[in-house]
Amino acid sequence: MFTSGWIPMRRIEWHDTIDSTMRRAAELAREGCAAGTVVAARTQTAGQGRLGRTWDSRLGGLYFTIVLRPRLEPARVPLATLALGLAVADTLQIFVGLSVDLRWPNDVLIGDRKLAGILAQLQEGALLAGIGLNVNQREFPPELARIATSLRIETGSEQNPDLLLPALAGSVESHLKILETSGAAAILRLFEAASSYAAGRRVRVEMPAGEITGVTAGLTAEGFLRVRRDDGAEVTVTAGGVRPAG
Amino acid sequence: MTIEEIRELIHVVCSSGIAELEVQRGENRVWIKRTAGAVVADAPAAPPPPAAVSVIPPIAAPPEGVTVAAPQAAPPAGTPDLTDPTLQPVKSPIVGTFYEAPAPGAEPFVHVGDVIQPGKVLCIIESMKLMNEIEAEISGTIVKRLVENGQPVEYGEVLFLVKPS
Repeated sequence: MFTSGWIPMRRIEWHDTIDSTMRRAAELAREGCAAGTVVAARTQTAGQGRLGRTWDSRLGGLYFTIVLRPRLEPARVPLATLALGLAVADTLQIFVGLSVDLRWPNDVLIGDRKLAGILAQLQEGALLAGIGLNVNQREFPPELARIATSLRIETGSEQNPDLLLPALAGSVESHLKILETSGAAAILRLFEAASSYAAGRRVRVEMPAGEITGVTAGLTAEGFLRVRRDDGAEVTVTAGGVRPAG
Repeated sequence: MTIEEIRELIHVVCSSGIAELEVQRGENRVWIKRTAGAVVADAPAAPPPPAAVSVIPPIAAPPEGVTVAAPQAAPPAGTPDLTDPTLQPVKSPIVGTFYEAPAPGAEPFVHVGDVIQPGKVLCIIESMKLMNEIEAEISGTIVKRLVENGQPVEYGEVLFLVKPS
């Protein structure tokens, strides 16, 4: 059950329910769909998270994957992760008047609670950007209540996902365009301005060799997070797993 | 530049008709020159050994460089010959973390000994939470995996060696 339409120059495939927008987008990418194609759903039965985790995809949220084909050298592609978080933050500021925080590399937060999750995969020769945004959920089950929030909870009013979606998709594309045309430095500056985690924030980080604690010290030219440990040594974080430390 | 990358450049020189190769990346520069090809007589069963090459770092002593000698005998039967110049490396296009499977505990994408075709997903390199599926570009057999699951990898680091078919 879906409607398939064109919102000026863009194909949006809307599903009431789907297993996973990432899976369907990969299928479309394999078939050679145009850049900017979107698969969206009101609920997912098998919403994907990072490394085989699931993403809670109950009714009330907006779940979509956009197929992108950026002209970027491979070493630059991971910076797209930062661009995706910036795109969501920008849209919410403009459309909902809500200021969000970005936790490196791509968690969209209000305080310490997650408002949106982003999953980026290079697959089928395309960059698949999956975004799960908590929109109209009035509450979350106990296991998520302390770590998740929604636009409804934060603003007290309902939002229309059908209007948010094209705005988010357009913002994703324009932020990737910034990366393509203005390079890494422009995205790094925007991220440092938008994220309380970029510098001066005390954090714990899961690293392959164990957890470290320290203070964030800006981003490297590649977009990795610098953390100055308590013993003075500087560590470059390339994966994720950044959490606030007391 | 890592030893692994230098070793790989030697492979490139040995497996091609190039006499001399100079590669510069940032402040690292390596110059590889093929000297007289080592010929091993009376060993018809052994694979032809690669030519001897010299690796001369531009700054470091000694000036005459390090000579990498060609192996004199075939490796024991049953084990892959990792010096085989026809082996093709699969390299990481980005700095990140190597994952052998789509999820922890899941079946790895490939095992040593697997026959692969172009487009076959070999592993995932995660960088800044971007999951990068690394696909085979050639057909062949996976002879060796050089990195562990969950291990950080550098740009250009060799992940697998593939014997082309």
